[in-house]
Amino acid sequence: MSSSLGRIAAIGRTTFTELARLRVFYVLVLFALVLIISSSFLARISLQQELQVTKDIALGAINFFLSMLAIVATAQLLPRDLEDRVIYSVLAKPVRRFEYMLGKFFGVLGLLVISLVAMSILCLAVIHLREEAAVRETMQQLSQSPSDELDHALVAVHQAGANRDLILALLLTLTKAAVLVSLTLCVSSFATSNIFTISAMAMVYLVGHLESIARDYWLHQRAAGWLARTFLAVVAFFFPDLQAFNLSDQIIAASSLSNLMLLKLLGLGAIYIVGYIVIAIAIFSQREL
Amino acid sequence: MTEPAIHVSDVTKVFATPFRRRRIVALQHLNLEIAPGEIYGLLGPNGSGKSTTLKIILGLIEPTRGSVRIFGRDHSAVGVRRDIGFLPENAYFHKFLTGAETLRFHAKLSGLSGRETKSRIAELLATVGLARAGDARLSTYSKGMLQRIGLAQALIHHPKILVLDEPTAAIDPAGSRDIQNLIVSLKERGTTILLSSHLLTQVQEVCDRVGILHRGKLLREGHLEDLLAIENQTEFIVENATPDFLDGLEQQIASTNARVVRRKPQTSLEQFFLKVTETSDE
Repeated sequence: MSSSLGRIAAIGRTTFTELARLRVFYVLVLFALVLIISSSFLARISLQQELQVTKDIALGAINFFLSMLAIVATAQLLPRDLEDRVIYSVLAKPVRRFEYMLGKFFGVLGLLVISLVAMSILCLAVIHLREEAAVRETMQQLSQSPSDELDHALVAVHQAGANRDLILALLLTLTKAAVLVSLTLCVSSFATSNIFTISAMAMVYLVGHLESIARDYWLHQRAAGWLARTFLAVVAFFFPDLQAFNLSDQIIAASSLSNLMLLKLLGLGAIYIVGYIVIAIAIFSQREL
Repeated sequence: MTEPAIHVSDVTKVFATPFRRRRIVALQHLNLEIAPGEIYGLLGPNGSGKSTTLKIILGLIEPTRGSVRIFGRDHSAVGVRRDIGFLPENAYFHKFLTGAETLRFHAKLSGLSGRETKSRIAELLATVGLARAGDARLSTYSKGMLQRIGLAQALIHHPKILVLDEPTAAIDPAGSRDIQNLIVSLKERGTTILLSSHLLTQVQEVCDRVGILHRGKLLREGHLEDLLAIENQTEFIVENATPDFLDGLEQQIASTNARVVRRKPQTSLEQFFLKVTETSDE
């Protein structure tokens, strides 16, 4: 058991090193960071709106770049190992194929966590600075107003700034990226090239963001019978509902996410991740190398 | 009776092409038995089934029919691979790792302890002549250096069996000779070695037995002296004989029904090259 964990850790660490030493990913993260910083200059509306738009753009940038990182980084792992014949020397050691796949998964996940932490620190710093500026401006503007009015305005500014939901949104962004990693691993376990994997995942990404709209529309039709429901269930499995992990709307509306809802979303993410990884391992175990 | 190190029994491998429109028979009823401590050479042209045979032995692919046993155990058991080291053909390994990191990674996969890993890395880097290049990334290595680090990773866990797919491909003659010497020294320590190669001279120099594969069938197999012996010819290699003596001997031979096929023995081009370059180094 411990040696199995050791092998998974070794493969994970090497996968992380491999990705961390590819400079192209730094460019992606850097691009996201630039977008986060520039978001504070893009928004010049009312104080609260300014904060909310900054958060929205920053979250959107983190969400998009983390998803792209998850797909692109994972898609090239297996083809590269096959091309360089690394896979033969690894699997000729006492390594089980599930250990190899889990190592790859955790390696990419490690990269995503570090990228997310870097982007989140900057995002929170930008929002904190905007929040402080908004507080100063509010106090200046309402210096002559009654204290009740000032308190009310300050509470509104703090609600629009960095709060618990922003952290939860970042956590769910990571969950979504982990779902994408597991699904990309699943696709690349039978794909013959990383171009196929990336193309397939681009489609999954698109459908995954639109399917909730289609599903809501379809299920609200009275004609939605068992056939339509079965079809939707199949689509929902192969195309994970990625929009479910997107909390931008709640963040903009400054409405709080309940703990139950959070647990449901994390549970949904875990089901997708485990399901895709199990399928990926099953396919990869049968693959002739 | 001692268990064979590798026992391949009636193995057939059929690859189905996409949509199963065509079937490719890569191996047909292959039987191999390699004794512990033996060096066995698998020869054959490209596409003859050598790499497929090695992959089946390593458990990387499953045979369509037949069985493979490693020291009496089924080849698909993961534990069996603790006894096997493998050097793939033209392996590039992880280019972003250094030589030492590559060996550390493979040591971890093989379950070596931290202390053992450290000493083993130093020992192997020295053995394969990469002691000074251990901290350089593999992306800066030449093909010959990659082959050496590949050999080191195959040996990291003291395997009882070493499987080498074209071990000296892309290596200069001197490096090739070093690997050849290493193979012989491993045999002296009891390691069983199965190698596939196109370089027949080398195979002839190091292997105890060879098998010749062609289109998935084992055409011939046996000890080199048996396979290469020419029944109606005799070879003497005589040193410092005078021309008069040799002329007399030749006349004596001619007086019977025999004839001299070649009078002056020749060295191989490889031996000649090594002698010239080694002399120049001195």
